[in-house]
Amino acid sequence: MGKSPPITNRVKLHRMLAGGITQAELGEAVGVTRHTIIAIEQGHYSPSLETAFRIARHFEVGIEDVFGWEG
Amino acid sequence: MPFSDLSFREKSAWAMGALFIAVTAFYLFDVQPISWREGLAPPVDRHFMKIMIATIVGSIIIQSLLASRNPKEADTPADERERLALARAGNLSGIILGFGSVAALMNYLVHANGDLLFHGILLSLLVSTIAESALQIYFFRRGA
Repeated sequence: MGKSPPITNRVKLHRMLAGGITQAELGEAVGVTRHTIIAIEQGHYSPSLETAFRIARHFEVGIEDVFGWEG
Repeated sequence: MPFSDLSFREKSAWAMGALFIAVTAFYLFDVQPISWREGLAPPVDRHFMKIMIATIVGSIIIQSLLASRNPKEADTPADERERLALARAGNLSGIILGFGSVAALMNYLVHANGDLLFHGILLSLLVSTIAESALQIYFFRRGA
């Protein structure tokens, strides 16, 4: 696997807080595949700004509650 | 990771990579004995038609099977991560094709052997297609 990007995320935590929705359900809600949600959660992929906003909007929180910059 | 857990596009990349490895091996085993016996095999004859037909029929069968087993994913366009992985793999495999083609053309300038030019470019195309599938798998797994 390549070096992870310096963007951290709490997508998995927010999925749990939102009643344990699945990666596939979140992916469908924001317009990406389940595998992309997995890659985001594992820190292998940094989503586009649009997808980051969609994820934050889906959880009804601010974007910085879900994504952060490491360091 | 079991094959059934892979995304539709990664399954497709594995299957198409395997098809093109088989087609390339078939082509090399088909052309090589003639080349040893009679000099380099001429390009425009049954050898080329065989690999063309094998590629087209194999691709149709593979894509039909994958689509029938994953109808929802097959109808869904690639998402942003998949598009990035596909673009990067296409870019790098294009460079491989370019190098192979230029090498074949340089060889033609020196030896003026049209048969070798044809086989060189065809082999570059096959190798770059295999590389594209391998790179797609790599980028899908790396996260693009």
